[in-house]
Amino acid sequence: MAGHKKKSLTIRYIIAFLLLLIMVFPYLYMVLNSFADWSQVDRKLIPTSFTLHSYEWLLSGGQSAEPRPWIRAFFNSLIVSTGSTVLMMVTGVVVAYALAKLQFRGRNFLNNAILFQMFFPAIILLVPTFLIIQRLGMYDSYWGMILPKALSLWAVFMYTNFFRAIPDTFIEAAKLDGASDWQIIFRIILPMSKSITIVVFLFLFMERWTELLWDMIVVKSDNMLTLNVLLSQMFGPYGGYPGPMYAASVILTVPIIILFLFFAKQFKEGMQFTLK
Amino acid sequence: MRAKNNNGMGWLFASPYLLYGLIFFLIPLGWSFYLSITDWNLIAPVFHHVGIDNFIKALKSPGVHAAFFVTFKFMIVFVPMVIASSLIVALVVHGLPRFKGLFLIGFFLPYLASGVVSSFIVKGFLSYNSPVNTFLRGQFGLDINWLGTPLSALLLVAVIIAWKFTGYYALILTSGFESINQEIYEAAAIDGVNGWQRFWKITLPLLYPALFTTLILSIGVTFGIFTEVYQLTGGGPNFGTNTWQMEIYKQAFQNLSAGYASAVALIASVVTFISIFIIRKFLEMWGKRNGWT
Repeated sequence: MAGHKKKSLTIRYIIAFLLLLIMVFPYLYMVLNSFADWSQVDRKLIPTSFTLHSYEWLLSGGQSAEPRPWIRAFFNSLIVSTGSTVLMMVTGVVVAYALAKLQFRGRNFLNNAILFQMFFPAIILLVPTFLIIQRLGMYDSYWGMILPKALSLWAVFMYTNFFRAIPDTFIEAAKLDGASDWQIIFRIILPMSKSITIVVFLFLFMERWTELLWDMIVVKSDNMLTLNVLLSQMFGPYGGYPGPMYAASVILTVPIIILFLFFAKQFKEGMQFTLK
Repeated sequence: MRAKNNNGMGWLFASPYLLYGLIFFLIPLGWSFYLSITDWNLIAPVFHHVGIDNFIKALKSPGVHAAFFVTFKFMIVFVPMVIASSLIVALVVHGLPRFKGLFLIGFFLPYLASGVVSSFIVKGFLSYNSPVNTFLRGQFGLDINWLGTPLSALLLVAVIIAWKFTGYYALILTSGFESINQEIYEAAAIDGVNGWQRFWKITLPLLYPALFTTLILSIGVTFGIFTEVYQLTGGGPNFGTNTWQMEIYKQAFQNLSAGYASAVALIASVVTFISIFIIRKFLEMWGKRNGWT
């Protein structure tokens, strides 16, 4: 009986491993092809001859008039994603603190408004939001990409639920000691919310890093493009240069994977809470 | 009565939402309604009020018809696909005594991919001289134009998106499996419950909350498909993958018909809202009737 169980467990591990291999195969294919000799790109399941040619082509500017647009685009993405994510986290925490821990008239109304807005189809807002950014003089700027994504309803929702689970006695005790609301947020609430903060941060950053539609319509100049948009435009409909296309894909994907793996353990712990 | 003292602080801390809700929700919402009854072209200083002309034009347009049906086609293909794949992953992984976390992290990795990147990979992998197509031509004489027919293009996009979300949903389903008490299975085994009954009578009812979450999430995804379609097909061939977002993007930012696009967006929002509402109610009823919730 024990031997049977052990055997079936081995089979399960093998199946799990094979499934995982299938799931990460597209990434392997991307990485291998980014280093593959140009004559082998998309010609072999697993390339056999390797070169750095694709990366050199990218960093020398490739077919673009501007030298090294990829490095510029990488930093654009970094600025936009970081700025946006930081703002979404700050506004998320602050608003959630009000909704979960402060008593005030209209709180229920705000709670309902946020829930309503969360389930509201956002597509209707696309064109007028573009016009607002234009009128605010933020077309073709970092702020144009950051500001419409400066608050995440999802982040507010997650933090509100988490903060509600923190006993009020902690806060009342701190208030008796004369702590202000800001001090309570920074000294009591946030240290207790590390796991959820990691989850919220990762989801927001991932989503922002891979945004296409908004960053595409609100930016015009080549030197303002985010990496994702540059990638999309340069290797768009007509293809060509598949090797550099994979190299650029690697440059876009690897940082976010490293970031995720760095926080993977805390992410898993945090997810346990969010999934309950 | 202490509550009263907090009014100022409460509104102060909630003010980021008030500001954001005003500038990026209420004003655009009103503006959108207004735009939808004009013929404004995004650039010209002059425009006219055209009443409900945009809506009539939209309801007759093939692009809008396509968007309506394509969304449901995606739903029919994508939702079962992603639920099945994430269920398989969760079933295989949830009982593993070791490395379970590591596996789940691994399966989550596709979620990090940009839709642009996954579209490129699929496009390259299925390009004319790719190993797959060379093999199919050589062995079976099959020359498949993967993005050239509406059905295969739709399937491909669904597969790409299912690939992205499988690990995420598997995480939700795994925690659903883990919340099931093993003793129930043991008791059922003593009562002679077999595998299939076990799944229908025990696993499914107890997994239902997690399953409900993944269903709702995946249905929501189908209403917001853009990147993969933009990158691979541009909505074609023959409107075969023309999603709402694709149609609105084309009308507003390629044809510059801001007024008309706003009318389409309004229709899209109403359709989305009603569809999700009905599907949600239906799922809840289904769960209730079977006594799962």
